[in-house]
Parts: sequence; C-alpha cells; structure tokens
Amino acid sequence: MLRWKYSRPLLALLLIVLAIAPMFTSLPLGKPGLQQTMAVAFIWGALALTYDLLFGFTGLLSFGHALYFATGVYVSCILINHDVVSWWLAALIAIASSGLLAALVGAASLRTTGITFAMVTLAFGEAGHVIVGKNFFNLTGGENGIALNAERIPQFWIGVFNTKYIYWTALLALIITYLVIWWVTESSAGKVFAALRDNEQRVQVLGLNTQRFKLLSFVISGTLAGMLGFVMLIAAGSAAPRFAESTVTIALLLMVVIGGAVTRWGAVLGGIFYSIASTRMQDLTQQESFASIPKWIGGPIAEPALLLGIIFIFIVMFAPGGLSGAYYRLRLRALTRKSS
Amino acid sequence: METFILIGITGIGLGALYFLVASGLSLIYGLMGVLNFAHGSFLSVGAFVGYWLARNLGPETSMSEFILAMIIGGLAAGAFALLVEQLLITRLYDRHIDQALVTVGVSLVVGALLGGWFTNDLQIFPTPLWFYTAVNVGGAMIPADRVVYIATAVLLLIANWALLKFTRIGLIIRAGVENRHMVNALGVNVRLAFSTVFFLGGFAAGVGGVLVSVYSNGVSPLIAGTYLIYGFIVVVIGGMGSVPGSFIAAMLIGVIRQFANYYVTGLGDFVVVILLAGVLLIRPQGLLGKARA
Repeated sequence: MLRWKYSRPLLALLLIVLAIAPMFTSLPLGKPGLQQTMAVAFIWGALALTYDLLFGFTGLLSFGHALYFATGVYVSCILINHDVVSWWLAALIAIASSGLLAALVGAASLRTTGITFAMVTLAFGEAGHVIVGKNFFNLTGGENGIALNAERIPQFWIGVFNTKYIYWTALLALIITYLVIWWVTESSAGKVFAALRDNEQRVQVLGLNTQRFKLLSFVISGTLAGMLGFVMLIAAGSAAPRFAESTVTIALLLMVVIGGAVTRWGAVLGGIFYSIASTRMQDLTQQESFASIPKWIGGPIAEPALLLGIIFIFIVMFAPGGLSGAYYRLRLRALTRKSS
Repeated sequence: METFILIGITGIGLGALYFLVASGLSLIYGLMGVLNFAHGSFLSVGAFVGYWLARNLGPETSMSEFILAMIIGGLAAGAFALLVEQLLITRLYDRHIDQALVTVGVSLVVGALLGGWFTNDLQIFPTPLWFYTAVNVGGAMIPADRVVYIATAVLLLIANWALLKFTRIGLIIRAGVENRHMVNALGVNVRLAFSTVFFLGGFAAGVGGVLVSVYSNGVSPLIAGTYLIYGFIVVVIGGMGSVPGSFIAAMLIGVIRQFANYYVTGLGDFVVVILLAGVLLIRPQGLLGKARA
C-alpha cells in the first residue's frame, strides 16, 4: 500500500487540534451542540472501523454487528442503573459480554460462508433487537428503552457544560479502537485475515485453522463494538432498541463502502461523514426555505436514506474503493506521472 | 382442540406470507447467487401500488377489486424487480458482494421515497368485508383473511412448480440452479432465466406485500424489513434454491412461532432463531438444500 511520508505528522497535528479545540469557547467546537454531534460521529467512525476489520480486512459480510454494540449499550446500562457494580466494572463486564456473545454467535454462524453467513448473522442480530424490544424481566424497557441513571456515573459526564468531556471520551475511544485495529491488522494474525479474504482455500492448504482465525477476527471486532456501546451510552444517555436494529449494521456497511474498505482511515472518515450528514440533513430539512419545495420532492429528500442510498449505489457501481480508494488512485497517478 | 386448530391455521396463514417473500429470494439466490436485500422493497412497491389502486377504485372494496389490486400490485413489483435486475444487478455480473450491496442501496432509496411520499405511519388498507368474517374449520372459527393467505400461497406454489416442471424456461432455471456455468457453456441463454426469476420473485413479493398490509392492518414502508428477515430465515432453513423447501420451512416457522407466542408472548421470534441455529449446526445446507462442493 502506498504511504505518504507526511501522513503521520499531519495526523498527529489533526488529533491535537481536535483534542484542544473544545477548550476555546469562541471556536465552533467550543459549543456543546457541535461537541455532541462530533462525539457521536467519532463513535460511529470507530464502529465503522470495527466493521471494516470484519468486512474489509477479513472478508466477512456480517449483517449482525449491531448485536455486539447493543450488548455493550444495554449490559452496561442495566448494571449501572441497578447499582450492581461500579460504572467502570459495569463497562468491563459489558465489553466482556459482547466478546463472549460474539464468540458464541460466531462459532455457530461461521459454519456457513459467504452469503449464507450474511443471512445467518442478520437473523441473530434481529433476534437481539426483538429481545430488547420485548422487555423481558422488565430489564430493557421495551420499545422505549431505558434512561441511564445519571447519579451512578462520574459527574464530569453529566450536563450540557460538560459535553466536552463526552467529546474527549469519544475521541479517546476512537483512538483506542484505531490503535487496536492497526495493531491487529499489521500483526501476523492480521495477515492471515487478509489471506482468508483473498483466498480461503490457499490458507487451508497451508495448514492453518481458518475457522479459528475467522472467529478471532469476529470476536475482536465484537469486543471493540461492545466498548463503543458503553461510550455511546454515555453520549446518548440512554439505551434504546434503535441501537440493536439491523439498520445499524447496514449503516456501518454504507460507512465503510463510502469511506473505502481496508484503509482504516477510510472507514473512520466514512463513519464520521455519514453520522454528520444524517444529523445535519434533518436540521436542514426543518428550515423554512425547505417548505417551499413541493412535497413530492421535499418529502423523500427529508429522509437522509435517499441521498446516502444514492451515493452508496453510485460508489458500488462506479467507484469501488470509496473516498480513500479514490484518494490512493489519485496519488498513484501523481506518482507515476512524476517518475515517468 | 378448537384453540389448537385456530393457532395452527393462523400459523400456516403467517407461514404463507413468509413463503410469498421467501420463494423469490430462494430462486434468485439459487440461480444467480444474489443475496437480494431489495426484496423487501419489492414487497413495499406491491403493497403501495395495491393500496393506491384499492383506494381509488371506490369507497367499498369488493373481493374482485381486492384481487385486482393484488395482481396489479404484484405486476408492479415484478416490473420494478425487472428494472433493478436490468439496471443494476446485470452490470455487476458475478460480483456477488457488490450485488448484495447494491440491493441494500435500492432498499434504502425505495424506503426513503415511499416514506417521503406516504409517510411512515400505518395507513389502513381497504379490505373486503368478507375478510372480517370467520370460517368454521373443525369447530374453530378461523378469521377469513387467513384462508386467503393460504390459498394464494398454495396457488403460487403450484404455479411455480408447474412453470419449473413443464416449461422450457423452467427447465433452464432448474438446470441453472444446479450448475449455472455449465448451462452457460452449453450456449443456453441464462440471462432470460435471470430476468424471469427476478420478475416472478418480484411478483410473489408484491402479492405478498398486499396480503401483508391486510395482516398488519395497513401499509407502511417500515413493515417490509421484518418480512425480509423472516424470508431470509425461511430460505436458510428450507435450503437455498429450493422452492418446496421454502414452502415447508415457511409453514414450519409460521406454526412454531404462533404456538410459542401463544404460550409466552414474544417467545416466538426467539424460538425461530434457536431453530435456525439448530438447523445450521445439524444440516448447514438447509432442509431440502443440496450441499455445495
């Protein structure tokens, strides 16, 4: 893969700017509104990256990734609200539960491959959505979800003026996710993941246990999603069935494809873009000038899925590789022109 | 005993709805290897066209008007399916993951369009009064709409079987499910079979969409998602590419779900997923599916 020698210092600079910007109230990022939007966008970016590990790096098209994210959200929320353990232990237990669930579901569904695997993970994910929607034992609050009891988490996460702490938490979670996935994909196991994606039979012939490596990728991805579930709980302040919907996984797929798979930063960028685009678009369509557009055009445009869906179809059809893929193609063209 | 029959037949009625969605999914996957996430949008298109027609045919919908709405809804969905296949799927020939992705995009766009035009709220589907009466089966009073679902599903199953068994295109489809590359190599036009399967799958889903709207008490773009997921489960359990397998699996799931829900509310969906996991562990290719090399 092409590496740009200035990319790391620039990335570090960007991170420093993103980290200190909330301290200056005169900047847009000093306002709680944008901080909240960005915090949620960071979480989606990180979640898209965990999905990229599965879909991009290992070639596993899972449609049930929301299950592990929602497990993180719900398990931590239930444990904190019922005062079972302190908040940090609740978070750890939630992360472990996500990993365990990923191991169980992965072991069953990885018996199938390709498209069947997609269907089976979808079914398991949907079962999770049904379970949290049904309010068994009065734990999950059914369709309404449960509000997080603010008294049982550290006070710096509470209140509008403390939104910057949520922002920093989300940014930290994104950095941790990025580092873990960077480490995993560059490790020797990561090389096996890529080999599984490119030619599974060959890996099998080499004498490696393909099932075990796929499961490893599945569990790492699920565990990280569980951690991000806890962070989402802090950012959203509640656990709701919408976190468990299959549309979450489909959104992740869109993020990775729009941003470009296998480049890591592409998935993060896709997630941040998608998250901001869907919240901003809703704000935009509520403005007065929007009312003058006839309803048969304005109605569908008000649904963020329309534009994102069209962009998505366009990228799949004509620009595989997404944003980051297009970037690398441009750089490659520039480099070959220079050398010739 | 009456309760037993009532729950059983209601379950079969529900299974009939699943079958209408699953039959197309199964054939499309079996023949072309396409995981069709747009199938839910075929269902929605059928439901909304049928709804629009039934609303405009007059205040009281008669049985024949309802059947007309069902057929037109099915045809519209079939035409839409054909459009998706010609415009998007064929251009991504044999890129299965990309084909699945593109159908995800289609389902998003259709959902947004329908949601924007008709809103996401449930709107009452005009149904003939006969649907609200009950039919006596062995002492149990069965709601009449269930009978319509079952009759439609059986009719489509027979039509499907006859088409696959007795026509030339049916022969090509069956051969294509067995080995598409061999059929292609023998110089048979498989493209036509692809289009036929997409049209028929869309038609069944569209007819299913109208019936699903009756069952759910109204039309909404949000309904299709649940049935698509059940369709997938039915296809996996019944075996990819096997229409009779889908039929058996759909009935099985409908009945099991209904019984589980009768004893413990909300247990049904859970039991179905356990069943799915069990089938995958014991027989990964599904009930009537053939193991792939």
